[in-house]
Amino acid sequence: MEIIEKITTNKLVENQTEIQKICLHKLQSSPLPNPKSELWRLSNKSKFSNLLDYSINEKDLKLDTPYPKNSQSTIRLIIGENYQIKLIEENYSIQQLSEDELDKFMKEQISFFDQNENWSDLLNLSISCKKNILGLKINGSKIPPIEIFSHSSTNSFNAKTLVIFLEKNCNIELLQVNLGKENSSLSQSTFFFLEENSSLKHGVVSYGESGSNLLNSLNIIQQKNSEYKLGSLHFKFNYARFEINIKQSEGSAKTKIKGMQITKKDEQIATYTKIDFNGPNGFLDQINKSLADDKSHAIFEGSIIVPKIAQKTDASQLSRNLLLSSLAQIDTKPQLEIIADDVKCKHGATISQLNEEELFYMRTRGITLAEASKLQLSSYFQEIISFIPVSKDRWDLLDKLLNEN
Amino acid sequence: MANENLVKDVVREKEPYKYGFVTDIETEKIAKGLNEDIVKLISKKKGEPNFLLNFRLKAFKKWQKMKEPNWAEIGYQKIDYQDIIYYSAPKQKEKLSSLDEVDPKLLETFDKLGIPLTEQKKLTNVAVDAVFDSVSIATTFREELAEHGVIFCSISEAVKNHPDLIEKYLGTVVPASDNYFAALNSAVFSDGSFVYIPKGVTCPMDLSSYFRINSGDSGQFERTLIIAEESSSVSYLEGCTAPMFDTNTLHAAVVELIALDDASIKYSTVQNWYAGNEKGVGGIFNFVTKRGKCLGKRSKISWSQVETGSAITWKYPSCLLLGEESVGEFYSVALTNNLQQADTGTKMIHIGPKTKSTIVSKGISAGNSINSYRGLVKMGTKAAGSRNYSQCDSMLIGDQASANTFPYIKSQQPNSEIEHEASTCRISEDQLFYLQSRGIEFEEAISMMVSGFCRDVFNQLPMEFAAEADKLLSLKLEGSVG
Repeated sequence: MEIIEKITTNKLVENQTEIQKICLHKLQSSPLPNPKSELWRLSNKSKFSNLLDYSINEKDLKLDTPYPKNSQSTIRLIIGENYQIKLIEENYSIQQLSEDELDKFMKEQISFFDQNENWSDLLNLSISCKKNILGLKINGSKIPPIEIFSHSSTNSFNAKTLVIFLEKNCNIELLQVNLGKENSSLSQSTFFFLEENSSLKHGVVSYGESGSNLLNSLNIIQQKNSEYKLGSLHFKFNYARFEINIKQSEGSAKTKIKGMQITKKDEQIATYTKIDFNGPNGFLDQINKSLADDKSHAIFEGSIIVPKIAQKTDASQLSRNLLLSSLAQIDTKPQLEIIADDVKCKHGATISQLNEEELFYMRTRGITLAEASKLQLSSYFQEIISFIPVSKDRWDLLDKLLNEN
Repeated sequence: MANENLVKDVVREKEPYKYGFVTDIETEKIAKGLNEDIVKLISKKKGEPNFLLNFRLKAFKKWQKMKEPNWAEIGYQKIDYQDIIYYSAPKQKEKLSSLDEVDPKLLETFDKLGIPLTEQKKLTNVAVDAVFDSVSIATTFREELAEHGVIFCSISEAVKNHPDLIEKYLGTVVPASDNYFAALNSAVFSDGSFVYIPKGVTCPMDLSSYFRINSGDSGQFERTLIIAEESSSVSYLEGCTAPMFDTNTLHAAVVELIALDDASIKYSTVQNWYAGNEKGVGGIFNFVTKRGKCLGKRSKISWSQVETGSAITWKYPSCLLLGEESVGEFYSVALTNNLQQADTGTKMIHIGPKTKSTIVSKGISAGNSINSYRGLVKMGTKAAGSRNYSQCDSMLIGDQASANTFPYIKSQQPNSEIEHEASTCRISEDQLFYLQSRGIEFEEAISMMVSGFCRDVFNQLPMEFAAEADKLLSLKLEGSVG
C-alpha cells in the first residue's frame, strides 16, 4: 500500500499546509482503520489495499465528461480547476470561502474526528492540496442549480474536497458527480454547513469505470429549521465506500435520504450512514436500496442516534435489497440507539429477489422475461432516481442503469 | 402533567426481590481460583469418565487463550476469574434414592420459591429438576417419564448412566471454543439437566429445571442438553432465582438442543436472577450461550424467554437450521429497570433449503437501564426458498433509559426472503388517559399496557409460565412506571 508507506515515512505530500499537517499527524499514529470495527469489518481487504496502491496525482487531466453539455441554466464547477468564484447577482451570491474561514472551519471539524469513523476524511484532507479544495459560501434564493464534478485520472489517486456554507434562508439544488476513471482511486470528502432555515436538495451520482475505486464521505451539519434532502446513486466501482454523517446540531431540522447502490461482477459497494439528533423535534426519513448481482457484495449500515435531549424525534429508516445471483452477497444492518423516551423511531429491512408473481403476470401478457425484469427494476430504481435533483430532466440515469443490466 | 411526576417516581421497586433470601445450609466448596487442577478436581468429584475430563481440559486450554468479548453494549467491572469458587454443593449423602433423603432445608427452600418437590405437594403434570448451586438436588416424576422412555435427570447422572449419549452429543451444538463464556462453562460446568426423548414419543408432561444460586462467592455454570429423536416433542421450562448479595455472582451456562427429523423442542425461560439494588450494587452477571440445532428435516426449535432479572444479561438463544424445512422461533420479552443492562437477541442461521424463522422481540427499558436487541439472520448459499420474519419493538419508560436495536442481516441466497422491522415507542398518554378515565388506576393501566405490548410473546409461553411472567413484569415495574 504505497500511500500508507508514504504516510508513515511522512513522504506523502510536499509543502504541507497546516490542515495537512494536523491530519497526517493523526494518521501517523495509526495509519489504517481498525479492521475489526463495525465500519470496516466487511470491507474487502485486497480491494481496499488496491485502492491505496496508486500514486498521488495533483495534476488532473482535463475532464473528459460523458455527461450532457453545460446548459445556461445551471452553474457547473469542476474541483481542481483553478477558479476565482465571485457571483453576485440580485437575488443571490456565491463566493469562495477565504483561507481563514476555511481553515477555521476545517480545524473545528477535525477536532471531532474519530480515527475509524472519519478515516476517509483524514486521508482526504492529508492529500487534498489547496487547488483541490473548493470552499463556497452561498446565500440568497432563486439560485440556478449547481453541478459540481470530481474525477480521478487513470492510474492515480486523486483527493478532492468540497466545503459549502449555506447561509440563513438560502435555498439551492446541487448535484455532485464523482467520476472514477479506469484503474484509479478517487477520494471525495464533502462538508456542508446548513444555517437556520436553509434548504439543500442534494444529489450525489458516483459512476465508475472498470477498476475504479472511491472513498466518498459526506458530512452535514444542520442548524434549526434547515432541510436537507439527499438522493444518491453509486454504481460501477470495483470498490466504493459512501459514508454519510449527518448531525442535526440543535434538532428541529428535516432530513430525507434516498440512496441506492448497484453492484455487479465482483464489485463491493458499501454505504454507512450515521444520523445524530442533537436536539428535539428532529425528523428523518431514510431509504437505502441495494442491488447485488454476479459475485458482488453490497453493504448497508445505518445508525440513528437519539440521545436524551432529542425528545419528539421522528425517525424512520428502511433498507430494501435485491439479491439477484446466488454468488452475490448482501449485508445490511439498520440500527437504532435511543435514550429519549418521547420519540417515534422505526426501521425495517428486507432482502428478496424480483417478484416472481409479477414477472409471471407480465410474461402471460406477452412481455419477455428480460423485458419484464427490466420493467420491475426500473420501478425499483425510479423511486431513487426521481429524488436526485438537477439530473433528472437532463440525464437519463435510468436508461444508463437499465441498459447495463 | 400529573403523569410526569409519577414518571419521576418510577425507578423504585416497591416490593423488594422476594426470592432474595439465603438458605443457611452446610455446603462443600472447593478453593477459589481456576487452574488445570481445579478442572481435574471438579471432574474427579463427579467421578467422570476420561472423555469428559479431556473435554474439560481442552476447553480450559482454549479458554486461557481467549479474550473476554467486549462488543456488547454493556459495561461492568472486570471479573476476577481467580476469585470465584467453581464448585459448591450442599453437603449430603452421595446417592439419593428418594426425596426423603434430601435435606429438608433444601426442600423448604424450593417450597419457598414456589417449586414444591415433595410427593404430596409436587406440581401436577410438570416434572422438575431442581439445581442448587452446582448440583442437582432432585428430579420429580422420573418413574412416570421412564415409562415412556423419556430420560430426564441431572447431567451428572446422565454422564454415569448414559455416557454414550453424552459423548455423542455434548459440545456438538456449542463447541468448547465457541466463545469465551462457553469455553469457561465447558471447563468447569458442574451440573444441569439432561433430557432425551426417544423416537416417536411426545413427552407426556412439561419438563422443568429450576436453578437456584445460594452461595455468594461461587459462580454457577450449568449445562443443559436436550435431544429430541425423530418425531418426538417436548416442552421444557427453565426458571432461575438467586439471593441478594452486594457482590456480583457469575452465571455462565450453556444450553444445547438437538432436534432430529420431525422433532420439536420448545424451550421457555423465565429468568429472574437477582438484579442488584437500585444503585446497581450486586446482582448476577448472566452470560449464557443457548443454541439449538435443527438437524432433521421438518424439525422445529422454539425459544421463548422472559428476561427480567440479572444485573447484566448477555444472551443470544440461536437456531442452526440445517434440516430441510426446519423451523426456528424466538420470542422474547426483556425488561430492564434501575441500572440493569441487557444485550440480548438471537441468531437464525439458515443453512438448509426451505427453512423458516420468526423473531419477535419486545424490550422494555425503565429507570437508568440499557436494553439492546442484537440479532443475526443469515441465509447461506444453500438456503433456497427460506424465509425470515423479525419484529423488534422497544418501549421506553422514563427519559433515562436507553433502547438499542442492532439487527445484522446477511444474505447469500437470492431465492430467500428476509423481513425485519423495528419500532420504538413509549406508553402513550392518550391510552393512559382513556384507561384512567374509565376508573382504572394509573399503575394498573401501565401494567395492562405492558402486558398488551408483550402479548405476542406471552401467547407462546406455556400457560402457567405466561401467568407467572405477566405477574413478574407488573411486579418489576410496580412504582417504576410512567
